[in-house]
Amino acid sequence: MHLLSLPTWMGGATGELTVAGQISPLGAVAQVSLPNPGIVLQLIVFGLLLGAIYGLVALGLTMIFGVMDVINFAHGAFMVVAMYVVWALSGATGLSPLLFIPIGVMVLFVLGIIVHLVTIKPIMEAPQENQLIVTFGVLLILVSSIELYFSPDPQNYDLDLGSVAVGGAFIPEGQLIAMVIAVVAVVGTWLFLKKTMVGRAIRGTADNRDGAQYVGINVERIDYLTFGIGAALAGLAGAAIPLFLTFDPFIGDEWLINAFVVVVLGGLGSFPGALLGGMIIGFVEVFGRFYLPGSFYQVVIFGIFILVLLILPQGLLGGDPSE
Amino acid sequence: MYLDSAFISMGDSPETTVHRRSFIKYGGAASVVALAGCTAETDDDNGEEDTVVIGSAHPLSGNFADTGTRMSNAIELAAMRKNDEGGIESLDGAEVEVIEGDTEGEQELGSEVANNLIDDGAHVLTGCFNSPVTNAAATAAEGSQVPFVISVAVDDAILGESPRDYVYRPQPNATQMARDHVDTMPQVVRDLDMEVETAGLFYIDDDFGQSVSSALEDFLPEEGIEVVTSQAIDFGDTADTQVTNFRDNDPDIVISTTYNASTQELISAMDNQDYRPPLLGGVANEAYNDASTLEAMGETAEDTLMTNFALNPVDERADEIREAFEDEFDQSFDANVAMSYVAGEVIIAAIEEAGSTDHEEINDTLSEITVEEHIAAMPEITFDESGENENALGPLFQVQDLQDVVVFPEEFAAADPRL
Repeated sequence: MHLLSLPTWMGGATGELTVAGQISPLGAVAQVSLPNPGIVLQLIVFGLLLGAIYGLVALGLTMIFGVMDVINFAHGAFMVVAMYVVWALSGATGLSPLLFIPIGVMVLFVLGIIVHLVTIKPIMEAPQENQLIVTFGVLLILVSSIELYFSPDPQNYDLDLGSVAVGGAFIPEGQLIAMVIAVVAVVGTWLFLKKTMVGRAIRGTADNRDGAQYVGINVERIDYLTFGIGAALAGLAGAAIPLFLTFDPFIGDEWLINAFVVVVLGGLGSFPGALLGGMIIGFVEVFGRFYLPGSFYQVVIFGIFILVLLILPQGLLGGDPSE
Repeated sequence: MYLDSAFISMGDSPETTVHRRSFIKYGGAASVVALAGCTAETDDDNGEEDTVVIGSAHPLSGNFADTGTRMSNAIELAAMRKNDEGGIESLDGAEVEVIEGDTEGEQELGSEVANNLIDDGAHVLTGCFNSPVTNAAATAAEGSQVPFVISVAVDDAILGESPRDYVYRPQPNATQMARDHVDTMPQVVRDLDMEVETAGLFYIDDDFGQSVSSALEDFLPEEGIEVVTSQAIDFGDTADTQVTNFRDNDPDIVISTTYNASTQELISAMDNQDYRPPLLGGVANEAYNDASTLEAMGETAEDTLMTNFALNPVDERADEIREAFEDEFDQSFDANVAMSYVAGEVIIAAIEEAGSTDHEEINDTLSEITVEEHIAAMPEITFDESGENENALGPLFQVQDLQDVVVFPEEFAAADPRL
């Protein structure tokens, strides 16, 4: 006789419920266990933390696409540049890396403008695949330069942040700080776009580039600003990630893949979509890792991704002109 | 010439290739005798040159460049020391030259780098650290009938999936490492009056991690240890969820098979969740052999029991070579570097014994060779039919005062185990 039982994650010291002796139609004994509430709470915390960070990583990517229709493959490399700027300045001065995060963001803003000036602007009217290939080239140049200058060895911020326990769940302080940064960045960017003249100009350009030009918006200048802000947001995400994770010159690729999924899932160009997509991917990854074998959670992520594309090609929150 | 033709034709089908290594062993002596009787011109054809070239294919850039560069330097050191002794004696003092190829740790480059090294005149190849890359490079070497001695790569499939006649592995493979861990770790723990009845596995989700993890799942129950959970990690991920899973399943020991960064993530996530299993273990986990990583992981890593290939801690010559390496390259000498040096020693011994740079003759010699003088903590090296080292051994280390110390078997032990 076979014993049909749920995976071990559904058992636990507390909350175990066993229905023994019930013969299933296949002649098996069903053994049903409830998940440990403390463990589920811990997973929810990790899902929220990871989801917020995915949202932050996707923010700059979706902004550049939403306004300029450019798919920026160098986004992950921008993140890595910020990581190394903050790490190098912190190492050189002996001060906390948290102090240098704003500098990292500013450096990336300037770098974004330079990259736009040198690579994107000359081919702005060319087919989209040209810009895609150019940004891929920028990625290779940036990552190779960092590898040559700093070595490919894994690095970290050398912070001993620890964790806080809330209701039986542990919250790593590094991830907590990164989540706060993510929330502030999302709200700040949203307010900037909604409440300022420049923000309105950016939204206007995103809505209709030709129309924006007709009403006197300097679209070229908006492109510079958008690419700079997009790179700065990538820099902010990049500078925040080493608060809880070791990094090397290639880590941007890992985040970039999921950032693309988040952006497409949420809707290309949609800010709330980036946050929603980030949360979905964060929760699927955390719960999938816990419940499913190996890296099978990735199958689920890309399964959802394909389903959304088939059913809602514009993404969950894409295509709303008010955004 | 007749023998050469026969070798080539026999490699055409897998079935005949299986028997080919046997043929090499039994026919090796006859081959050497036949070739020894050839004219001087034939000797030239067989490549008796002023220089013997070892092609070293390792990750010199990319994620694994730090380890790969040191491994390639270990091959270089083996060649330098041989040259300092006067070169290959049986080839009238021919110098050993090492040419390097950069695999970047990328599977798709393994074959290309191996072929480039062969085109550049390599008589023997070695590499590659990453199992998928090594598999690709070994396949290319096999196709070109150039001997390939694995420096470090643990996956069984490299030699176990399809027959290889030109590929040899001095180090223990994944199954052997897992076997050695299961044979020694529980015994040491129980001798110290501790229980180990359940295990959680933590592995990097690639060929390397999967193969060791799978072997552990097979072997641990034989020692009465139930595997209660098996958790994978990808490159660039935290280990938060995996540690939550360990907390939930509460194994007596968490055994990790990962690279440096992922092992650091494991320890960091344990610290963050205020969790530490009664025992920590590792198989082929370089993090527990690396001084700076151990320092970064701190007290939580203390007492970890780990199986890996090792520099022989009770061999004075091994100490001398470690010092020579550190002086020459100003880099740290760990287990991966030691095993690469051993691969260099095996290659040089085979060329010396073959007295030729001809691929076939070197390969014949490798198939029969016994290397007694080497710096690894294992008995003499000699290869079986499949190219695996018959005496490969992964001794048991323990992290003591944040240093890796061999504690078992006794013949290689530098300290007693403690918990």
